[in-house]
Amino acid sequence: MNRYDVLIIGAGHNGLTAAAYLAKAGKRVLVLEQRPLVGGFCVGENDTPTLAPFPRGILRPDIIRHLGLERFGLNPAPASTDLISLLPGGRQLLLSADTAKTVDSISQFSKADSARWPAFIRFMDRAAAFLEAAYATPIPRLPRFSLKEGLPLAQLALKLRALGPQDMHNVIRLLPMTAKEFLDEWFESEELKAAIASLGIHNANLGVMSAGSAYNLLHQYLIRGGWGQPAIDSRQVIAVLESAAKAYGAEIRANAEVTRITVENYCVTGVRLTNGEHLSASSVLSSVDPKTTFLRLVTPEPLDPAFVWQVQRIKMRGVSAKLQLTLNSSVHPFQSIRLSASSSATSSVSPLESVRFSASSSVFIIAPSLAYLERAYDAAKYGQISEAPYLELTASASSAAPSASSVSPSVAPSAAPSEFVLTVHFQFAPYFLKGTAWDDSTRAILERITLDALHEYIPNLKSQIENLKSLTPLDLETAFSLTEGDPHHGQLMLDQFFFMRPIPGYANHKTPIEGLYLCGSGTHGGGGVSGIPGRNTAKTILKK
Amino acid sequence: MPTPTYDAIVIGGGHNGLINAAYLARAGKKVLVLERRPILGGAAVTEEIFPGFRFTEFSYVVSLLRPEIIRELELPRHGLKILPLPSTYTPLPNGDYLAAWADHDDTRRELYRHSPRDADAYDDYARLMVRMAMAVKPLLALVPPDPASLSPRDLLGLWKTARYAAGLSEKDLYALAKLITQSSADLLDDWFETDALKGTKSASGIIGTFLGPRSPGTAYVLLHHYMGEIDGAFRAWGFAKDGSGGVTASITNAARALGVEIRTASPVKQVIVKHGRAAGVALENGDEFHAKVIVSAADPKRTFLQFVEPKYFPEDFLTQIRNFRVRGSSGKLNLALSELPDFSPRSPRAAHFLASITPDPLTLYRGAISISPSIEYIERAYDDAKYGQPSRRPYIDIVIPSMIDPDMAPPGQHVMSCFVQYVPYDVEGGWTEERKAQFAENVISTLEEYAPNIRRAIVGMQIITPADIERIAGITGGNIFHGELLLHQLFFLRPAPQWADFRTPLPGYYLAASGAHPGGGVMGAAGKLAATEILKDWK
Repeated sequence: MNRYDVLIIGAGHNGLTAAAYLAKAGKRVLVLEQRPLVGGFCVGENDTPTLAPFPRGILRPDIIRHLGLERFGLNPAPASTDLISLLPGGRQLLLSADTAKTVDSISQFSKADSARWPAFIRFMDRAAAFLEAAYATPIPRLPRFSLKEGLPLAQLALKLRALGPQDMHNVIRLLPMTAKEFLDEWFESEELKAAIASLGIHNANLGVMSAGSAYNLLHQYLIRGGWGQPAIDSRQVIAVLESAAKAYGAEIRANAEVTRITVENYCVTGVRLTNGEHLSASSVLSSVDPKTTFLRLVTPEPLDPAFVWQVQRIKMRGVSAKLQLTLNSSVHPFQSIRLSASSSATSSVSPLESVRFSASSSVFIIAPSLAYLERAYDAAKYGQISEAPYLELTASASSAAPSASSVSPSVAPSAAPSEFVLTVHFQFAPYFLKGTAWDDSTRAILERITLDALHEYIPNLKSQIENLKSLTPLDLETAFSLTEGDPHHGQLMLDQFFFMRPIPGYANHKTPIEGLYLCGSGTHGGGGVSGIPGRNTAKTILKK
Repeated sequence: MPTPTYDAIVIGGGHNGLINAAYLARAGKKVLVLERRPILGGAAVTEEIFPGFRFTEFSYVVSLLRPEIIRELELPRHGLKILPLPSTYTPLPNGDYLAAWADHDDTRRELYRHSPRDADAYDDYARLMVRMAMAVKPLLALVPPDPASLSPRDLLGLWKTARYAAGLSEKDLYALAKLITQSSADLLDDWFETDALKGTKSASGIIGTFLGPRSPGTAYVLLHHYMGEIDGAFRAWGFAKDGSGGVTASITNAARALGVEIRTASPVKQVIVKHGRAAGVALENGDEFHAKVIVSAADPKRTFLQFVEPKYFPEDFLTQIRNFRVRGSSGKLNLALSELPDFSPRSPRAAHFLASITPDPLTLYRGAISISPSIEYIERAYDDAKYGQPSRRPYIDIVIPSMIDPDMAPPGQHVMSCFVQYVPYDVEGGWTEERKAQFAENVISTLEEYAPNIRRAIVGMQIITPADIERIAGITGGNIFHGELLLHQLFFLRPAPQWADFRTPLPGYYLAASGAHPGGGVMGAAGKLAATEILKDWK
């Protein structure tokens, strides 16, 4: 008799979500985490405040409801922070969940665009709701499936039809478009289009002129819950999921690295740890990426070569780096941006009143034009680090976590109060560099480019830096087991979407090995801190 | 109300317009075709630009022309003669080359020389592509159903499409889904390692689109170019006797034989609408012709935004047509040459090998010559264009018609057709004479790297940019497919959702050209399918 019904490899947000669902349904669950702390890439090395690939996160509302996460301290409707695009000449464009504020900001660039904004948001919300429904739909194997399996697909098709002919066509059309084409149909302001289009390339090895970047845009819009980003540190999401899973009876073991998923007669029998220990269970869920799962953890013998080939072909191709700057300053770095803005912005553009209120908790992006973003991507195509990168900046006082009140004390860092931490998301820094590799010299280039780019907007920054840490795509791979440094466990591209994620025929979270399931970001619905794949997999298992 | 003098009037005497007219006449209708230019053919014309030198000005090879059309309109009897292109030769900057020959074993030997692995993979790849092309072909002959509609016709169409998909094997269905959504670079990287092979193959994925080979969606365009056949030989490309004008001539003869009346030099100004129905056309010279049905074989933008007053169309529809992407991305350089360009391999080893494949050194000039040394080369060509510049080092697809059909040039001299991509329609600063000269210079200096004698051989040159295609052939944006073959512009979305069945919001008005399903190339499918739909509606 096995001690556990289910073993889950990896205690990231998806592993924990699946654990909580399964434990709540009465399964005996053990989660195995190789790192000393839970959270996967939501929690940085040594629990550094924000140096994690996903600094902020939002779980889908139904997961919060089903798992009763409010009882464990999660704020179900977090305030959304603003997204502010930094523009040359000290101008700023603000995109916020607050439509009136956004319209006001856009009107400085184009009156026509500000008038279209509410309709655009309505369309995006409807399209995102449809995408969410698609992500919640179990995908049978095509083309011949049973009536019962086809029912959810039919329901999804009805939901699509319910959008009405016009929106239905527009949603279908959107997916294969380039972000640029899609936005050209809505807006005229280059600044606005670029700010929105930055979502289309976020964490993607695509440019704003690559087909399919409109789909990534919609995905990011859904996962972030609209404009701006949720003001929840994703470490809080992890802390809440961890307590929920434990409260429902799941066990979590840290420092337990799985070296092998053991298989007999095409059925999973358990896992073996690095210390030689073998744990038995009839179900194993892997929340690590599909390549690691099938190419490293499962010995290839039980797998069909055609299947292995397909797994090898999954496109990971991480293109993002992360940097963390500890600043010895009593002034919030984003306050310095404002100073530079008001000093350099002469009479042409008045400083935005609204920015003043939200600056410190906002997310800033450097994405001034579509051509700028496209050029940043051009470098990645040829295996180079962008000299003029797309950056996303978040900052917090390092003495307190962003949402100190709701983060459990165990993960609240302590530091001197006069320090701020600036976190930079950097694109494009491709995993595969041409003619060179990720080492100290390329890291130095990455850091130099970042500081130069920031200098234009925060002039006094360089003198304040006390400590600078960077995570290259290679670091993401080694520190967080993200193959090729892709936080999405597989690029969000149309040929890796829906019934083709992670590979065609296996979008139902099942694998050729009976009892082995995939519940990580690399599967249907995955990519971003949403908990969707974890939820879907748990539901698939519980239905049996 | 004047009685209609014709049953149908077709605007535009390109291959689709003529094919449409021929099918309508075949069903007993009285049909008039109106062509703007003094000559027929649209973008499929042959013209003598310099004395003695006849150019296939725009379209220059045939393959996609549907075999059932050739059969049903008896085009060979009306003069259609297709001379197959036996090879594709890709010269390389290092003096080597890669070639694909009509003979399978020769191609294999060529590939093997570059990569034994690729030589092995090649057959499997070719089989997959043929299977995929076969799988897509039924869709080309289908009137796309509108998934948002509840009309019996659309529901039946959806059912047919679903049944068709269910009829594919799981493996093929997935392979097809991947192929439709991925980039040609990703597709080819999965199969091959030889840069020249991947470059040359990926080039078919960008023709007529404004995307680079690394952009998703280009694998479908690649597949589109696999769907040609000549005399039942799948995916063979050929050159028509007398050039593309020869194709046009045979269709014209067939149409005339069926009783179609054709008027050239008759530019249409407007479609006349009476009682909410298209009832005739007014020419620019003021002449009016009346008919029960008006068919436009012009591109969607002209068809809906120029010929008809906007009040007859819903605003949503007009928005969709305005959003239809017609960014021209290719141009041509047609050269009159005093001697053959010398594309022979510079590397002695490669030259020796070529001689072992074909003792006749002229053989390679009878096929296509492709300047496409690698995917990166083409991707960089795209990078120039997306920022508004003609590619400094473009992809060039060359045929030398005079090598295949001696009637095309004076004895001993040659015409050379260079299809060039990327050449953006919206070039920075507009298409001035200097810009055109710069574009030509880019092409010639690129060619010079492979054929050193090219510059001195040039005795005449015709430069065609997308702006020229728009001006001469009347295609908005100069896009050779009347609209890019992008996923969101295909099947039931081409040219606009709800209106992919060749009908338009204006009763009695139809679209029958490349801007409709299934899209471009000298294919004729749109013209034929539209005729079928028109006849279904005939009361």
